[in-house]
Amino acid sequence: MTQFIQLHMLTAYPPSNLNRDDLGRPKTAIVGGTERLRISSQSLKRAWRTSEHFESALADFRGTRTKRLGEQVFEGLIEKGVSESKAKKWAAEIAGVFGKLKKDSFEIEQLAHVSPEERQAVENLVDTLANEDRAPEKEELNLLRKNPKAVDIALFGRMLASSPAYNVEAATQVAHAITVNQVKIEDDFFTAVDDLNTHEEDAGAGHMGDAGFSSGIFYQYICIDRDRLVENLQGDEELAQQAIAALVEAAAKVAPTGKQNSFASRAYTSYLLAEKGSQQPRSLSVAFLQAVRGGDLLGTAIQRLEQQRDNFDKVYGDCADQRCSLNAQTGEGSLQDIIDFVKA
Amino acid sequence: MDDYLVFQLYAPLAAWGGQAVGQERPTNDHPGRSALLGLLAAALGLKREQEQAHAQLRDACRFGIKLFSPGLMLRDFHTIQVPPGARKQQHLKTRRDELREPKLGTMLSFRSYRQDALCLVAALSSDADYGVERLADALLEPVFPLYLGRKSCPPAAPLDPEVIAAPDLRSALDSYCIAPVLARLQTGTPRYYWEAGMNTGMRHDYRAPRHDQPLSRRRWQFAPRDEYVFLGGE
Repeated sequence: MTQFIQLHMLTAYPPSNLNRDDLGRPKTAIVGGTERLRISSQSLKRAWRTSEHFESALADFRGTRTKRLGEQVFEGLIEKGVSESKAKKWAAEIAGVFGKLKKDSFEIEQLAHVSPEERQAVENLVDTLANEDRAPEKEELNLLRKNPKAVDIALFGRMLASSPAYNVEAATQVAHAITVNQVKIEDDFFTAVDDLNTHEEDAGAGHMGDAGFSSGIFYQYICIDRDRLVENLQGDEELAQQAIAALVEAAAKVAPTGKQNSFASRAYTSYLLAEKGSQQPRSLSVAFLQAVRGGDLLGTAIQRLEQQRDNFDKVYGDCADQRCSLNAQTGEGSLQDIIDFVKA
Repeated sequence: MDDYLVFQLYAPLAAWGGQAVGQERPTNDHPGRSALLGLLAAALGLKREQEQAHAQLRDACRFGIKLFSPGLMLRDFHTIQVPPGARKQQHLKTRRDELREPKLGTMLSFRSYRQDALCLVAALSSDADYGVERLADALLEPVFPLYLGRKSCPPAAPLDPEVIAAPDLRSALDSYCIAPVLARLQTGTPRYYWEAGMNTGMRHDYRAPRHDQPLSRRRWQFAPRDEYVFLGGE
């Protein structure tokens, strides 16, 4: 029997354009006959996978944030008698695995998160290189990013048409996020003034354009196949727990980066329901087939979601064994409770 | 009388892949044989590389479909950022690491979905290893997560499999009750689709070729077959 972890979230985004189509307008979908905003599955996953948050959640909390990894490697190599020019080159190669380097240097541009295991792996590699007096091989470098790499690919999978041996089936299923409310995409017509235009010849704008935007409460659904995740991580139960915790945290806190400079539409989730069980997973999107309207959108959406959960249970039998939820509108529950619940 | 396994399929977005070449990834308005076999195989826990088991399941099952609503088409613009020249061993990195590379390129595709499509599926099995009771149990507690064509399309209602003894396909499909909450999705008269050699209890208005009989999952090969269609009514 497979253990599934299902997450249902309601996240309210103010006016935004988080995920755009080929015309630069927010993506939409028709649900229950009305237009809704949509953030595609791939957009959500990209935001979580590439977030600083996701990476640091995976490094053990004793992990190091540093730009100076290269310096340490360089000193280590010199100490062990490697020539300066070789040490410089190898240090840059090793540090480059953890982040983009400053030009002609082995300093990492931005703070990189390095877990204790990764630091240990770097130290081991430094020893090997010094002993054998050779440059690091590509394969050795790639193995340095052990945990984040394993978790990223175990959760989200990998497909390579060219070398199927490396394929990994994703343990996580992420649905497109769709608003519970009907939306109308609005157009913001904007102009940019040319400050040096003296209006002597022409008083027009320097630039004109329009940007589509809208707002809404998104229903997000994630299903994690826990057995598959552990299998993908070669049976490492502890790492699987860390992976699930990191995913929950990123999903609850990280927004896609689209048009964030124009809209600053970052949002934490307002409601999260986590479920565990071996029953056939199902999303609860039918709760919003009829678009939610009226004053208290969020309150109504939460109520509809819970009602739908109960109605499915009533009609089809229990759809999950255990549940845990947080509600940021009323202040009930906590993200830590959810994380402890899904990890167990 | 035959035992039919009947279940409902609904998700806000579903993708029943047609022949996809290059950037265009189209969808049909109802599931094909390959999609339904894949769904059952996922529930049973057959892995992609288990060629033999997939072939056995394929030979065992025949499907009929009652389409309540074909849904509306959605053509999704999908971009993927990729590091230049797909360097050797690049795939051993995390996505975050990958996107740190300078000069990223973009791959474009258009992926089509059906929005709010709803159908019923009736399956017949001629193989005791994959009998309808076993398939029903597998759908209730699947080994792998189920999805409607693409992994990003999870079912939005229990499939609620039911084994129905009926004289023909139509009475099996017509005696199943869809979830009340989904009833509002029905548009017009339901259409019926089935494959050759089924006892249907209805005439076919036309027949059309489809290219969805899986030959090999590993090689991704499909053979043509005929699909029979009844447009509904009397």
